[in-house]
Amino acid sequence: MSARRIAALLAVLALAAAAPAQAQFRLDLNRLVDTAKNIGKATGEIAEKEEIEIGSDMAARLLGAAPLAADEALQRYVNQVGRWLASQTERPDLPWKFGVLEAPQLNAFATPGGNIFVTRGLVAQMNNEAELAGVLAHEIVHVLKKHHLKAIQKTAQVELANTAVTTFARQDRNTPAREKLLAAGSELYSRGLDKSDELEADRLGVVIAARGGYDAYGLPAVLQTLQAMNPEDSGLALMFKTHPAPAERLEALEKMQPTLDAYAAQKQLAARFAGTARR
Amino acid sequence: MRAALALFLLLPGLALAGPATVVRQTEMRREPAFDSVALARLAQGAKVEAMERRGGWTRVKSEAGEEGWVRMLLLRHEGGGAAKQGESGVVAAINVARTGTSGRQVTTGVRGLDAEQLANAKPNAAELKKLQGYAASRDAAARFAGAGELQAQSVAYPKEGE
Repeated sequence: MSARRIAALLAVLALAAAAPAQAQFRLDLNRLVDTAKNIGKATGEIAEKEEIEIGSDMAARLLGAAPLAADEALQRYVNQVGRWLASQTERPDLPWKFGVLEAPQLNAFATPGGNIFVTRGLVAQMNNEAELAGVLAHEIVHVLKKHHLKAIQKTAQVELANTAVTTFARQDRNTPAREKLLAAGSELYSRGLDKSDELEADRLGVVIAARGGYDAYGLPAVLQTLQAMNPEDSGLALMFKTHPAPAERLEALEKMQPTLDAYAAQKQLAARFAGTARR
Repeated sequence: MRAALALFLLLPGLALAGPATVVRQTEMRREPAFDSVALARLAQGAKVEAMERRGGWTRVKSEAGEEGWVRMLLLRHEGGGAAKQGESGVVAAINVARTGTSGRQVTTGVRGLDAEQLANAKPNAAELKKLQGYAASRDAAARFAGAGELQAQSVAYPKEGE
């Protein structure tokens, strides 16, 4: 088994093991080995089918930390905005799903395969649909560029270097090495992506919002709102820990000024946003 | 209810209102456009009062009392607004709705998504199913965009390394 195949297998194992209690998420070991073989056979990248399965498992975990807000109109609204934006990208036909999490903290998440979440706390700080679009577009870029998938693969490769891999896959679920890898996978959302991934998501997110016909300044406006808040606020702690500071992100977005200005006069849709997200 | 909605509709103008600092020297212009008359030069670190945003421009009042427009990205906002003092009111308000307790009590341990909760989360299959149920098709999303008069544009990604 090549190092690459093993690394990919470890990544898949880590995520599958994340859900031992739920039969529907328990991928059996033979299937995982097959998956790893397929990954090795192909280009070395995780195939789209696996990407979607991994992403669903990760989404289920996020939903275990905070459920969806009990507001069907809001959920459907965010899905329409998000799917419209995703339709403007190079992966329009992923099974895109968007959700508002019932959590007061200000944050947004993406998992592989097209699952995007934004917290009710962050939605509450937005002023119009263009701002929502800016945040969703940022998260969509994480999916398009497979930022999380690559981070998990990287973690698995590090583990590979430190572990007796041939015995690894045969170990019981509860062995320390296995737990270590599982923890690394699940820690992604509290540790954060590389700064370069976040700044790329900002730059490309602005483009995707502009493609959707929105005021391209939606994302910068949200960043300015965050920048004006007290960084000690507990509702911001995790986002500020896992993202570059808003001021740094705003500065980095100056590179995008030509695009921002060319599409600054597009729709903000404050009334439609208020009608659904502010009821 | 109508009054509450009207108040929210006013919020966009108020959202970025408050004291701010100019991060580098810039011109304050009469209109929100590069070809508009420069009314004054604001030095790096100059304090202004931000009032409203229009596109990439924010209307400000300088310490000298002049009003004009500066580049939005050059402003860093400072404390002073309701959301800028300690715990944000919104977090507390949502917790009140969730818990029925006072916002003050939750500030030491805000409920929802923090690092610890993420680390300890168990998968929730029922919520995942709900998530799937709310998904919109491409066609439905296109109709929604049409209802908002959103027009798709062809915009290139920035080149790598730029």
